Amino acid sequence: MKDIIISIRRAPYQSLATFSNLFFTLFLSLIILFSLTFIYGLLGYIESRPQVTVYFKADTAESAIFKMRDDLIASGKVSSAKYISKTDAFKIYKDLNKDNPLLLEMVSADILPPSLEIYAVQPSYLPQIAEFLKNKPGVDEVNFQRAIIERLINLTNIIRKSTLVFFAFLTFNAIITLLTIGHFKIALKKDEIELLRYLGASQWYIKKPFIGEAVFFALASTGLIYLIFLGIIFYLQPFISSYMNGVSGLGIDFRIFQLTVWPLNLAYLAGLYIITVLFGIVISVVATLFATQKYIK
Amino acid sequence: MIIFDKVCKTFPLGNSALNDVSFTINDNEFVFLVGPSGAGKTSIIRMIIRDLAPTSGSIMIDDLEITKNNFNRIEILRRKIGIVFQDFKILPEKNIFENIALGLQIGGLSMKNIKKEVKEALELVNLSHKEKLFPVQLSAGELQRVAIARAVCGDRQIIIADEPTGNLDMKTTWEIIKIFKKIEGKRTVIIATHNADIVNSLKKRVLVLKAGRLVKDTQKGDYEL
Repeated sequence: MKDIIISIRRAPYQSLATFSNLFFTLFLSLIILFSLTFIYGLLGYIESRPQVTVYFKADTAESAIFKMRDDLIASGKVSSAKYISKTDAFKIYKDLNKDNPLLLEMVSADILPPSLEIYAVQPSYLPQIAEFLKNKPGVDEVNFQRAIIERLINLTNIIRKSTLVFFAFLTFNAIITLLTIGHFKIALKKDEIELLRYLGASQWYIKKPFIGEAVFFALASTGLIYLIFLGIIFYLQPFISSYMNGVSGLGIDFRIFQLTVWPLNLAYLAGLYIITVLFGIVISVVATLFATQKYIK
Repeated sequence: MIIFDKVCKTFPLGNSALNDVSFTINDNEFVFLVGPSGAGKTSIIRMIIRDLAPTSGSIMIDDLEITKNNFNRIEILRRKIGIVFQDFKILPEKNIFENIALGLQIGGLSMKNIKKEVKEALELVNLSHKEKLFPVQLSAGELQRVAIARAVCGDRQIIIADEPTGNLDMKTTWEIIKIFKKIEGKRTVIIATHNADIVNSLKKRVLVLKAGRLVKDTQKGDYEL
């Protein structure tokens, strides 16, 4: 630690440039990571809503509806299909309109159609499922959130691809800049490195203080970034909460575990911090290794 | 033991630095390497520390054949050797203790042992009272003594000095030589120099180089400019 502080004092402008570059890169990376996880959580939430709702004519026999449900599940394109009977529909209607007695008086279970709420294995199967149902006898109406889901999928894909490109550029830019600054810092220690090599220092021994400094800068910049990030997030939380009103939770399924994105929680915030720290350390150390290796050679 | 066997060095542009040079330096021997500028003294020193590879021939340092193409123990080799440079190579931002301790830290010694070794080295060069000073506070002669202390510190069995008195006046030169005399017989000492007075007064083994060739190798030798 003492050596790192001495090194920073010996080259304050280079150290400041390193810190600023890491700060900018990691702050943008954290914002990107936060936005992406939130968007994926939102996509997961929308996908978890009933994706296709098929309403049947009032006189359709339940057995015919159950057969259709079984056929759909057997097709492999449907993950689940929930039957809503006239009675169930009426219960939902009553629950939704419990504050409006007039509406409740006007409607009885008989006039509400039975329906199936269908969840597709993949959103891309939705049009095929809807098309299949439209041509079936007894089907009155097929509703599916094609436009919303397709737009969201397209938007997510565009955001993911453009983010990857931007992220790659950001990383490349950061490494190049850190490498150049690293060269300046190493050049300041030219005599010391030359002497160390004559005294029998290994390459690792020479690189070690530079790598220690790189890790220190990554940790310091991430620490500051995270404090600012938490400040912004907690300032914006009331606005996000009002926007997300009615959404009980957002999560991302990583197969081996489920990450809850909303409401904000310690595991999610800790995960963001760890990823940002690791990313900072990786770009900082990679740039330092390149700079020292080139110089030592 | 250092063995040079038919060592040649030709640079890519065709100029020859060493031509068929062979000699053996035994353990704890005191040897002067003399010759005019461009004779090949520095090339020999650089080859001993494997800073320069010969075009042909072989070099053995103890049990290491350092001229092998796949030789990858340069760090181990250099930890056997202490080097004293004409320009001292003392780091200005480190104090005297830290400068001398550098070589020991590389070897991974504990701080307790480093302090002990540095203390002994400073006593050898009569600078015990100056370990906390910085290089800028020392004279040229004192800086060269620091460089010698750094070279002899620890387990370095071969001490090589490349024109160690080149930048010093006569009085300081003799002080430096006295220090080398103190370690005579305990370590191998190789001194490359132009200074005929030193060579002739000490009557040690002399290797005389001229235009890249070893032209004379005499015990208790002398040297004429």
